[in-house]
Amino acid sequence: MPSVDMREICKYYPESGVKANDYVDLSVKKTEIHAIVGENGAGKTTLMNILYGLERADSGRICLDGEEVVIRNPRDAVRLGIGMVHQHFKLIRPFTIAENVTLAMEQRKYGVLLDRREAWKATEKVIADFGFDLDPGAKIADLTAGQMQQVEIVKILYRHADVLILDEPTSVLAEQQIRTLFDTLKNLTCLGKTIIIISHKLDEVMSIADRVTVMRKGKSTAVRNTDEVDDKELSRLMIGKGITYGFKRDASVPGEPVLALYNVSVAERTGHRPLLDNVSFSVRAGEIVGLTGVAGNGLEELEEVVNGLRKVDSGRIEHRGLDVTNASSYFLREQGMAYVPSDRLRRGSSLSSSVLENLIITSRRSFLNRGFFRRKAMEKFGREILKHYSIDTDLYVPMGTLSGGSIQKIILSRELSAQSDFIMFSDPTWGLDVASAEYIYSRILECRRSRAAILLISNDLDEVLGLSDRLMVMHRGKVVGVFENDGTLSKETIGEYILGLRNDFKGDAGNDGQATMGRGDGNGGGIDDNVVGGGSSRDCSDLSPE
Amino acid sequence: MNVIHNAVAIMAPFLLAAIGGLFTELTGMLNIALEGLMLIGAFASVVFASATGSLFLGVALGIISSVLVAYLFAFVSLRLKANIFISGLATNLLASGLTVVLAFKLFGSKGVIHFPGAPVLPLVSVPALERIPILGDLFFGHNILVYLGWICLVLAAVVIYKTPFGLRIRATGHDSSTVESLGLNPQSYQLKAILVSGFTCGAAGSMLTLNLQAFVPNITAGRGWIALVVIYLGNKTPLGILIASFVFGFAISISNYAQGFMEIPADFILAFPYIITVVAMIGYSAVRHYRSQKLAMRRDR
Repeated sequence: MPSVDMREICKYYPESGVKANDYVDLSVKKTEIHAIVGENGAGKTTLMNILYGLERADSGRICLDGEEVVIRNPRDAVRLGIGMVHQHFKLIRPFTIAENVTLAMEQRKYGVLLDRREAWKATEKVIADFGFDLDPGAKIADLTAGQMQQVEIVKILYRHADVLILDEPTSVLAEQQIRTLFDTLKNLTCLGKTIIIISHKLDEVMSIADRVTVMRKGKSTAVRNTDEVDDKELSRLMIGKGITYGFKRDASVPGEPVLALYNVSVAERTGHRPLLDNVSFSVRAGEIVGLTGVAGNGLEELEEVVNGLRKVDSGRIEHRGLDVTNASSYFLREQGMAYVPSDRLRRGSSLSSSVLENLIITSRRSFLNRGFFRRKAMEKFGREILKHYSIDTDLYVPMGTLSGGSIQKIILSRELSAQSDFIMFSDPTWGLDVASAEYIYSRILECRRSRAAILLISNDLDEVLGLSDRLMVMHRGKVVGVFENDGTLSKETIGEYILGLRNDFKGDAGNDGQATMGRGDGNGGGIDDNVVGGGSSRDCSDLSPE
Repeated sequence: MNVIHNAVAIMAPFLLAAIGGLFTELTGMLNIALEGLMLIGAFASVVFASATGSLFLGVALGIISSVLVAYLFAFVSLRLKANIFISGLATNLLASGLTVVLAFKLFGSKGVIHFPGAPVLPLVSVPALERIPILGDLFFGHNILVYLGWICLVLAAVVIYKTPFGLRIRATGHDSSTVESLGLNPQSYQLKAILVSGFTCGAAGSMLTLNLQAFVPNITAGRGWIALVVIYLGNKTPLGILIASFVFGFAISISNYAQGFMEIPADFILAFPYIITVVAMIGYSAVRHYRSQKLAMRRDR
């Protein structure tokens, strides 16, 4: 007897003309962990929103334990024992854990007053019953992402949910926290809970789920037991065609350094722990340098420093020997430094402007004729770009109406069309489906082939491991590890450095970097002494899709 | 200490309006309609009080009128999804126009209208205790609406911090999508908050006209706006609002008092509350800036 049975669910969005769910079936057994996988826009979240009552299906039936139910709103879902952990946490940050857990189902005294003590007790009971380690009196704002997620789960369990829906639960967690989450989930199934997990990280799905439903373009295409499939087959089911991400990162001999940082430091405004602490490295022509770490450890600051959006307090930045320390973004772009920012919706593009306007913004002056735009030339340029990068859209639609993948393709094509010798990518595939991510990867590798120096800042370990020639790890504003990516590097090793569990990197990292770093003579410098005969060749077919 | 005694009387309308405004502020809405709601209450209460001869009915109907207009404001803002700033502005313009038109239709005057028949606001007088320095001035010898303000303040503090309703109100202001995901309707809390602001603004307005036994067009004279400032100065807490409105009341009281024996131009005296507002807002933002810096420092350590 299945616990949750959704039959022929249809959901159509007339505004966008998208059939988000097209006769979708989902059958989840009691006390199993059931994963729903699919690309972005496959309809996973819509299906779960329907189950949780946030959206209503146009047609279809939902049965719980064999009985047909109607779920009009989250209140109905909660009453029926369904709870959902959203991708972005639904927590009130200034409130305590107990207040968040009991919100909307408060413990009362005298009928009208809040009973804080009972709220505390009830929260503590759930925490203890399910083996969490949380303090009911702690404020949400002081918690880590992993703890916040635990609070979300406690919140659901407090409402006596038997079915837990988790939407992309690992996307905000570090490697270690993911393991804790998985232990928690397995523990919950032992205690009789049923878990539905939305994901597009196949390796995680394989390790945690019992069964998996694959969705593609609004349809449920397959249901498999995880011990009977491998991630290759799953990814084939998701994409709907053969595996196409088997491109190779071929050998490349790095040239001279294009961008070099020497002991760059940025202090916190209030002057305590530095945001960037003596960061030194160089990026050479024809190589991809990957930079990774957990959010809050200096990646964002470095991204801004290299693009000229943030001033450094000490240290030097050189572009082809020219001192560009604290130069403006405008100047850096003039110098041929391109930038694909992680925040593609705000920093990377103007959503209310048209595709064409977004495409020409960096090269706008070449289209001027006595202060006015030459529309024909602009359109020609725009159409050529769209054609060359095979982007299927019109020049005059607003950026904001496009999908995340298309927006990123347009930003990418704008930055690449500038023929820069240095390109910084920051989380280039964040939130994109497999096909779009793959497209981005092939473009990045193409830049490398055309001898651009590439700095790839990414929180996605698979991505940096798959693409980088060299890999740097940042922790607390310092470069704590620099590795040649020769194929022997393991995700676990990197993970330990990322989380600061290991700080024993012997080599040219962080403060020690000065010793081996050439001091700004233009072509020396960098951490290139130990590269002989170029980067190693590596088959990237194991590059995990994001 | 007449200055303190007057300050308490002067602060009462600010306090009442700010209490209602606090509720809307906590649900995440900038309620600029306080001014208009007060004006409606001011007009309706004195008209009804003089028509019925009952103080209680006057105040009650004044409050009800203000709540009705608040409901209209809420309907336009929440249900019809109008921009709350624009609909608030519209409420203020409506109140200002409507009261003048009605005054003209009913009483044939666009100027000051006296209601000699309206009952006087009774004072709560305890002669023995009134003589206690400062405390006597603070707590005794005021009209009953001043005490209504204090009751409302205590009630507001209890509701906001001690009841599920208050918890949900605050949650709505911090993140309405969270409230929604828990199966509650954040808009219903916003509606209730607007109605509460209608209630307290109605009471605040009735105090203005019943004290004078007269209605003057736009008698509120920006008090609703100052109440908004009071909410921010009071850091969006009931106690803070009490202190902030006392500061305003005290400043105005001093300037009134100074008028008697100092050569201060009358124009300046009239402008004083507004000058205080500007200075207070600048001071507030400076303090906030300083605080956030200190907080950042502490977090860093």
